[in-house]
Formats: sequence, C-alpha cells, structure tokens
Amino acid sequence: MPTAIFTIGRSGLTASRRSLELTAQNIANADNVDYSRRTLTQGELVMTGNIGNNAQDSLGGVRPGTIERAESSLVQRQARDSSSALSAAEAEFFAMKEAESALEASGVFTGLVDFEAALTRLQNNPTEPALRLSALESARKMAGNFRIANGTLANARNLVQAEVSAKTLTVNELAGELAKVNADLVGSREGTAGRAALLDARDKALRGLAKEFGISPTINANGTADVMLNGTPPVALVTGATTSPLATSFAADGTVTFTVGGTPTVPAGGAMAGRASALAEMAGLQTGLDALAVSAINITNAAQANGVGLDGNPGPPIFAGTGAGSINVVLASADGLATAAAGSPAGSRDTANLAALISALGDASGPVSGTDSLLLGLSSRVSALETRSEGLSVVAASAEAELLRETGVDLDTEAANLVRLQQAFEANSRVIQVAAELFDTILGLR
Amino acid sequence: MPSITNSAGSFFNRSLAQMADLRSGIERTRTQIATGRKIERGSQDPAAAAQLRSVARREALAQVEGDNAARLGQDLAAAADEVEAVSNLLQRARELAVQAASTPLGPDGRRAIAFELEQLGQELFTRSNAVSLTGEPLFAGQSSGTAFTRDAAGNVTYAGTPESGAVPVAPGTAIERGLPGSEVFQFDLGGTPTSAFAVLGALTTALQGGAGDPVAAANASLAGLDAALDTTGRATTILGTRMAWVEQVETQQAERRVALAERRSRVGDTDIADAIVRLQQSMTALEASQSAFARVSSLTLFDALR
Repeated sequence: MPTAIFTIGRSGLTASRRSLELTAQNIANADNVDYSRRTLTQGELVMTGNIGNNAQDSLGGVRPGTIERAESSLVQRQARDSSSALSAAEAEFFAMKEAESALEASGVFTGLVDFEAALTRLQNNPTEPALRLSALESARKMAGNFRIANGTLANARNLVQAEVSAKTLTVNELAGELAKVNADLVGSREGTAGRAALLDARDKALRGLAKEFGISPTINANGTADVMLNGTPPVALVTGATTSPLATSFAADGTVTFTVGGTPTVPAGGAMAGRASALAEMAGLQTGLDALAVSAINITNAAQANGVGLDGNPGPPIFAGTGAGSINVVLASADGLATAAAGSPAGSRDTANLAALISALGDASGPVSGTDSLLLGLSSRVSALETRSEGLSVVAASAEAELLRETGVDLDTEAANLVRLQQAFEANSRVIQVAAELFDTILGLR
Repeated sequence: MPSITNSAGSFFNRSLAQMADLRSGIERTRTQIATGRKIERGSQDPAAAAQLRSVARREALAQVEGDNAARLGQDLAAAADEVEAVSNLLQRARELAVQAASTPLGPDGRRAIAFELEQLGQELFTRSNAVSLTGEPLFAGQSSGTAFTRDAAGNVTYAGTPESGAVPVAPGTAIERGLPGSEVFQFDLGGTPTSAFAVLGALTTALQGGAGDPVAAANASLAGLDAALDTTGRATTILGTRMAWVEQVETQQAERRVALAERRSRVGDTDIADAIVRLQQSMTALEASQSAFARVSSLTLFDALR
C-alpha cells in the first residue's frame, strides 16, 4: 500500500522534526544552569487487525513519545547538600573575616602597647609635663581605638544581620515559588514540555533553598516536592501548595532566632546557619572586647587611686565607661596621673605607682595579653573556617560537575544529534519521494 | 538512554574556577611584593601574626627603653660632672685650709683665705642645686624641688628624699637615676652627721675671726674636708659605675633591636626573590591555562561541521 509508505514517511518526518526541535532547545539552553537536558522518546507504530484467526499487520511508522528530562535525584541531592555545607562555611568565613579585619585594623593592640610605651617613657622623668601629656594622650588614643573596634565590630554584625533579613525574604519567595510549582505540577500532564519546565523550576527552587538552609525535600510521585528544614527541631517549610513563613528576630547581643510558621528552630546547615553561628561568635567577641576595655579601665583607675599625682593628692580616675563602646578619658589634667606611691609629697619624682600600673597592664592577665589572645583566637578561627570552606568548595564543585554531567547539555552530543536527525529527516523525505514515485508509476500504467 | 556526557557548562565552570584560583594567587603574591608584608590578615597565619604582635610590642617598648637609657646616661653624666667640680672645689678648700693652718700667715692673709672660702661655699651650694638638661634637680632624689635650702643663718639643709628612684632600661633592669644629695654632700664625722657646707662654713667663720685660735680651727677642719672629699670620691665612683652600666645596657639594647628586627623580618616580611619566582610561575601557569582554554573551547563539533 503506497499510502502506508506516505504515512510512515510522514510520521518519521514528524518524529525527526520534533527531535530536531528538542536538540535546538537543548543547544539554546546550553548556558542555562537550571535547565535539564531533554530527549524525545519514540515508539514504533504497528496496527494489527484481526478477523477470526487471521491477523494482519499494518506498519504505521514511528510515534513521537514523551519529552524526557534527564533527571538524577541522587546527584541533585548531593549537589544540594554539598552546596548547603559550603554556603554555611562560606557565610561564616566571610562574616568572621569582616570581624577579624575590624578588630585588627582598629588598632586596639597597638593602642594598648602605645599607652604602655608612653607610661614607660614617663618613668624616665615623671614630672616632665610633656611626657605626662603624651601619656594622657596615648590613653585617649587607646580609648578611641577601643571605641573604633566596637564600632567596626557592630558594623560587621549589622552587615550580617542585614544579609539575614534580606535572605529571609529570598527564602520566603523561593518557598512561595515552590508551592506554586507544586500546585501547577499536580495538574500537568506527564511527558509534556510544560511539565519538564515546571520540574526545572522545582529543582531551581530547591537549590536556592538549599543554599540558605539545610533541607530534606520529599519528592512525591506526582513530582511535587515537600521541604523540611533541617534543624532542631526540623520544621516543614513547604507542604504541597502551602508554605510556612520564615521569620527572623535579633536579640540584644545581635544573635538571631528563626521561626518557621511560628515554631522556633535552630537551622543545621546552609548560609543561614553559618550567619547564625557567626553572629553568636561576634556576640562572644563583643563580650571579650568589652571585658578587655573594662579590665583596662579597672586596672588603670585602681592604680590611680593607689598613688598620688603631681599635686600630692590621690589620682582621680583616668577612664570612665562600662565597655568598649563607652570607654573614654575623664582625667582633665595630666598632672593628675598618679605616678608616685601613696604618701609621697607633691612634685615627687617617685615612680613606684607608675611601675605598678605598667606591670599590671603588661601582666599575663592584663589587657595587652588579653587582646593578643583574643586576636589570636579570632584569627585561628578564621583560618580554620577558610580551610574548611576551601575543602567544601572542592566537594561542592565536584558535586556540581557531577550534576552537570548528568543533566547538563553536551554541545558535541547535540551537534552529532543535529547531523543524525538532519539525515533522518532527509531520509524520511526521500521515503515520501519514493512513495510518490511508486504512486506515479502505478498511475502511469497504460 | 544512559550516556556519559561532558557538559559544556561543566567545562566552562571548571576552567573559570581554575583560572580564578591562579589569578587570586597572583594577586596575593603581587600584594605581598608591593607591601613587603607576607601577612595581610592574621588568619593567613595566626601563629606568625601573634609573633609579629609580640615583636611589635617588644620593639615599641625597646624603643622607649632605649630613649630612657640615653636620657639616663645624660643625667648621670651631668651629675658626674657636677660631682667632679665639687671634688675640685673641696680640693682647693683643703689647700686653703692647709695654708691657713700655717702660722706665718697674719689675720689679713687668713681673711683673704676666708673670702675665697666663702666664694667656694657659694659655688658648692649652687652646684648642689644643679639641674639636668631638662631642668630637674640632679641631687634632690625623688623630689622635684631644690635639693638644698639655706636659712637666714646660712645653715644648709637637705630638702630632697634619701632615694633617687630607678629608671627601667631593659626588661627586668632598672638603674638608679642618680645620687641623692645626702650621699654626695653629707657624711658622718666622728659619729656626728655633718655636711660639706657645715665644714666649709665653720672654717670660713673661724678664719673671719670667729675663733680664738684660727690655726687650730683650720687644722681641725682638715679632717672634715678629707671626709667630704672621700664622700664625693665615692659618689664619682658610683656614678661612673652606673654610667658604664647604662652604656653596657645600651649596647645590649642595640643588639636586641637588631635581633627583634631580624625576627620580624623573618616572620612577616616578603622574601622578594621567592615571591617574584612564585609570581612568574603562577603567571606562566595562568597564560598556559588561558591559551589551553582558548584552544580546547574551540574544539566543538560545531566548528568541525561545515
């Protein structure tokens, strides 16, 4: 039957044309990270008629099947989990690096050492007005450096907090998107391009969420995804088409608490967990910095009270304040620096009390070595975080490469497909041409 | 259809990451060369950063201790100069006393001697209240007022403190600032505390006619003058020893400063030769990687199909 050849050729043309379209689509999306490679399934079309025991087959060509999307839930999950871990480490690393530069660059340590040096110089000649003034001014500088450190640390904290607030919006947006995709997926037909696009959108939303939080998604049979946030306790963020809103609030010390749909939770992965632990560490740093300022204030003021100034009266306090943010110099005149031991007459060149102050400042429990160990602890922590995020970035990159290998577009394959499908298209048109010639031959019988 | 694919996106990502790594390495090395410092942030090497901090603190304190030692040296030298002048002065006074004790000298001669002795007494008093380059009294101990005061009757009393205080010049080393006037001008004579001023004053008064037997008085004053000379001699020795000590400490300080600088340089400074070689190496690698990328990325089937 020549008409059957026409139909077969036409079906072949349709199938190869649709495959070509998909190849073109794949090539067009080669640079789209959220796109998963598509292929067209095909099935042979054979029509069989039965009359009694007589069965007659009629070949019908090929039936273009469904659009299949390269999918690998395991690799997707690996990529998500490794990106959660990397984001957590990186967020914490960047935040702490900020805090480190804040504390190092503010010169708390240099200020303390300069104060110590100015006091040591004053020992040379405790009654010289220039030396007294320079000691007082270096005290002022030290207090100023403490305040700068306090300000820059607060600045670093504010940056992290602003990021937490901004990313909370992103997470809620992504959760809303996922819920919408879930709702659409329920109604979508298997094997359509529309469904494949929805699944792409679903995976994109999951990847976006995984960056911010560690998540345990459940992929249901109909393709919808329910998302639990990992944490203590784990909480549901998206269930079907409904979402629980994420909210964040900041305590007075700057630490953050998360609630999902009203349930408080402590996240266990993702950038948010990294930021939360960075904020907790910054609160610790703030406590440490305040303690150092208070120790500098107390040691200096106690030494002042133990000795007498140039006028022979007990030294008034040099510093006032309750922490790094409020430390300031209240001593009005450099003559009030209590260099001499108690009981010394006015104008005494005794330096016993000054020596006591210097040794208290430089003592192992004093602010100088306290600052040193605070900075050492912080920089060791940042260095460890850097190493960790470097290691995790290798893991995440290889998981990403694995994912792209499974789902990404290989241009060489697509180029080969183009050639193959073009040839198939040409061959099918040739079949139609042959069928037409056959028909013409029959029609031409005289 | 299971297939092994080499995703185009994956290839570009990988190449990009590798080149970015190389580029950031080059950037870091370049910064190290430009700033001369190996460590920009403490976290790049926490232990070295902590060492650098302690070296910086020691350097700052060593600088101040060096200044302190230099000024202490000056003060001690000034005190030593004064004490030497006092020694000479007392020597002259003793010569005069010996002259006065010789009988041929008449009352006029003794009065002339008394006149000179009075001048010497004035000079002694002035020298006892000498000040350092910065205007601080040299012999007042820890007091910033004048060392000796003289009342209307001409009696000189010590107004300073019995100790002069010490200046720290090195970790754990403090050197006494000078000598209190009580140790330079005051001494015991036959169990009675007296001073160079009192001895000189008594002799002057005796020679001016205040004593019935000026010759005996002059003879008697010799013991006092000898004791005063002994005291100033001792003071010269002490000051000289301390000056030598300060000099020794200054030498040590200079050595320690060099050691500290060396240590800082070893821990924190960029090894330029090393950094430049590394820079060259990274740049070669980056160039190679870029040209390899350009060649590999053009190797697609699309280019081959015409």
